[in-house]
Amino acid sequence: MTSSSESLSRSRLRRHVCWLLLLLCLLGLIPIQRSMDLRRGSDRGAAEVLFLPSGKFLRQLSLGYEGLLADIYWTRVVQYFGRKRLAHSTEFKLLGPLLQITTDLDPHLLIAYRFGSIFLAEKPPRGAGQPQEALALLHRGIVANPDYWRLWEDVGFIYYWDLKDYPAAARAFHAGSERPGAMEWMRVMAAKVAAQGGQLATSRFLWSQIARQAGNEQIRKNAEDHLIAIEAEEEITKLDELIALYNSRQGRPARSFQALVVAGYLRALPRDPSGAPYILDAGGRVGLNPRSSVELSLLE
Amino acid sequence: MRVATIALHTFKESVREKVLYNLVAFALLLIGAAILFGSISVGVEQIILITLGLTSISVFGLLIAIFIGIDLVSKEIERRTIYNILSKPVSRLGFILGKYLGLLLTLFVNTAIMTVGFYAALFYQKRALLLDDLRFLGAVYFILLELAMVVGIAVVFSCISTPVLSAVYTFCLYVIGNFSAGLRAFGQETQSALLGTVSDVLYYLLPNFGNFNVISQVAHAEKIPGYLWLGNSLYALLYIAALLAMAVLIFEEREFR
Repeated sequence: MTSSSESLSRSRLRRHVCWLLLLLCLLGLIPIQRSMDLRRGSDRGAAEVLFLPSGKFLRQLSLGYEGLLADIYWTRVVQYFGRKRLAHSTEFKLLGPLLQITTDLDPHLLIAYRFGSIFLAEKPPRGAGQPQEALALLHRGIVANPDYWRLWEDVGFIYYWDLKDYPAAARAFHAGSERPGAMEWMRVMAAKVAAQGGQLATSRFLWSQIARQAGNEQIRKNAEDHLIAIEAEEEITKLDELIALYNSRQGRPARSFQALVVAGYLRALPRDPSGAPYILDAGGRVGLNPRSSVELSLLE
Repeated sequence: MRVATIALHTFKESVREKVLYNLVAFALLLIGAAILFGSISVGVEQIILITLGLTSISVFGLLIAIFIGIDLVSKEIERRTIYNILSKPVSRLGFILGKYLGLLLTLFVNTAIMTVGFYAALFYQKRALLLDDLRFLGAVYFILLELAMVVGIAVVFSCISTPVLSAVYTFCLYVIGNFSAGLRAFGQETQSALLGTVSDVLYYLLPNFGNFNVISQVAHAEKIPGYLWLGNSLYALLYIAALLAMAVLIFEEREFR
């Protein structure tokens, strides 16, 4: 009896020791791992590695689950792009190859062409600044999805906005307008771009159409940012004209907007679309307040 | 003393397995083939031999570790030797510890044979071995630590599952353990506090096998930093202790009738 109870208590003690050991060891792992991570550098986990660089090869490996794999790769594209944007990075080395793999795996994943081309074409730090790569991606998309007119809209847009090639942009809008289901304004856009390419009014028309038709919040937000920048640009042009008028009539340069308000040229101190007051620099040029959230660089 | 006896017995039993010889033979064959791969490449002959050789040790070591680890309990039950052992004055802790040490010894001997094969191939290619070539032993040591953890994982699973499922679970955990840094980075990128915390917990809880991979470093003649020697040794020691404690806790609960 005594021996049995002794054995039981020994077994209980052993269990307690094991639990304690388990807990202490697991807790002890944390500082060791942390210390190694700190010394090795934080970039280890997020190393820019593709692992398998060929979409066609991955397609074979996927055993018929290429759709799911394409979704995973598309998520990887978004995560990669988001991380780079948050870090204000100007290098997007893996963006092109990741998009290629995604669209190789699923050539009908339209969102990958549409978003991917925006990610690729936008100038750094908003994007990779690779409009030619964006065009190549869209053309692959058009080959795989010949009836989808929106891809032609994106092609025209990149020609118009990033490459300033207005005839090519007009041709793309026109080609898109002939696809089944294309919106009527694509034809208008083609004509307008051909006639008045490069004018702010044309840009406004283009972005307004995109903001109105956008099926996605991010695309709409991007279009609205551009529209705000266009509005600010137009206001700055008008203010510059007013100042020139003031200077010539008063015979002395305007030192502040207050002087224009006092002289009756302005009703109040001018504010940009984000609500921040415009500034007048020492050279008499109108500019944005450092507090302004308007991104004029979008129009460069 | 009893632990040592069980360890020795386990080792003797393991080395009788013909599959082990086959795996080691395959590893040696692949190490030898690395010389051929190197000869059809340009400028990287030695790097190919080193990376392929050390990778062979790691991959076949992993297979051996899983293979010997998953049979821990099931084989004893199948042969009904477990009743014999447990009827003797051997605690379950002693049984697990002895078994684990026996498996570790098997793993050590197999890895040593593969390492000798690797150095033989290196000698054949370079026609000499220099003192500097000892740096590859660092990579082999890290592989051994990694394999010791894998055996520990296999032992835990073998206490709760069948050999086949144990092998699958161990292999899956090995794969996950190689991506744990990526898992954590993914959690952080999602910007979700919950996912971030979950991925952090998993990062520290799951075995981080990425710590032990220095094959590319040694292939490019880079020195293994001191903190990795110490950090990885301590990490493996604690993780193995935790695994064995878990195995003992599970094994204590099992009833053999």
